[in-house]
Amino acid sequence: MNTLRGLGYCRFGLAFLLNFASLASAANAPHLALKAVERREVKLPIDDFSLIDQDGKTFQFKNLRGKIVVVAFVYTTCPDVCPLITAALRQVQTHLSNQERKNSYLLTVTTDPEIDSPKVLTGYAKRYGAELSGWSFLTGDQATLKSVWKNFGVGVKRKARGLVDHTPLTAIVDRHGVLRFAYIGPSPDVKSVLGDMRFLMTAS
Amino acid sequence: MGCVCYVLSLVKRLFFHCGFILMILLAGCGRNERMDAVYAQRCLNCHGVSGRGDGTMAVSLPVAPPDFRQTVEKKGNSQIRRLIAEGKGLMPAFEPALSPSEINDMLQMVRFLSREGRQISWWEKFDTLVVAHCSIPWEAVLGYDEPAAEKKL
Repeated sequence: MNTLRGLGYCRFGLAFLLNFASLASAANAPHLALKAVERREVKLPIDDFSLIDQDGKTFQFKNLRGKIVVVAFVYTTCPDVCPLITAALRQVQTHLSNQERKNSYLLTVTTDPEIDSPKVLTGYAKRYGAELSGWSFLTGDQATLKSVWKNFGVGVKRKARGLVDHTPLTAIVDRHGVLRFAYIGPSPDVKSVLGDMRFLMTAS
Repeated sequence: MGCVCYVLSLVKRLFFHCGFILMILLAGCGRNERMDAVYAQRCLNCHGVSGRGDGTMAVSLPVAPPDFRQTVEKKGNSQIRRLIAEGKGLMPAFEPALSPSEINDMLQMVRFLSREGRQISWWEKFDTLVVAHCSIPWEAVLGYDEPAAEKKL
């Protein structure tokens, strides 16, 4: 039992390294469940990137210009907060009206490309009931993903096969490709995310 | 002479296989640190130390994780193994991240925790043997998957 108590507690301890502010992410997994999600208003331009979606097709970020994009960083075998983040995103998707769906898009970017192949991501998306017309699950090679993580300020550290420490970020990017709201923590509040998305949709 | 050699080789193989099987059965018949470690890394946060669904993350989940003592007894090993490999709801799919032996470790751990504090059924006494039996790569042991010898042209 001592082993049980001693192991598996360190998750998501990396600093959130945005260049405008130093945000400390949650340190240890057991506290994450209790810790509130931190919401930050920011202005960080996101560079274009090209990754592979769940169908194995090339996905170009710049094609989403003109839409409000919610980007979450998770990995499919995460035993901690990632399931909560993806479940929250699913809730966000179900609460969007048809018109809002046309003006927005959801992205899930893996933090573990070693495991998360397009096939694995397809199974993950299916399990959460994601509507793939407005939601893509992205993977890619380590180098490309590294630059994407860095651009969003997400720290990633591999612990073991299928076990990764990473910043639990859910970001909202405006229609000009600028990161405007950052939620750091286990389960972003659905109402708050929807509110921020709607604010950005009405803003010029 | 040839007949004697053939019998001797059969006896040798028999001893080898019996020893191998016995070794795996013994290794698979008790709770060990490897099982504890894989459970702690992948399951503990939601399922809790005792497998009662009271992990630290459990309160944040939309659906409470099951208490192993009430659910595991009704499930077969292949069913549990499939759940671990393919995931369910918010529970991750641990295949292909984990090896079949790690998934077996998880399965055995789940079985162990499900027995704590309850009267176990008679067939459950044989669970570890069944799991250990299923852990043996029979094809490799019995040579079924040996590549066909290349034909010389």
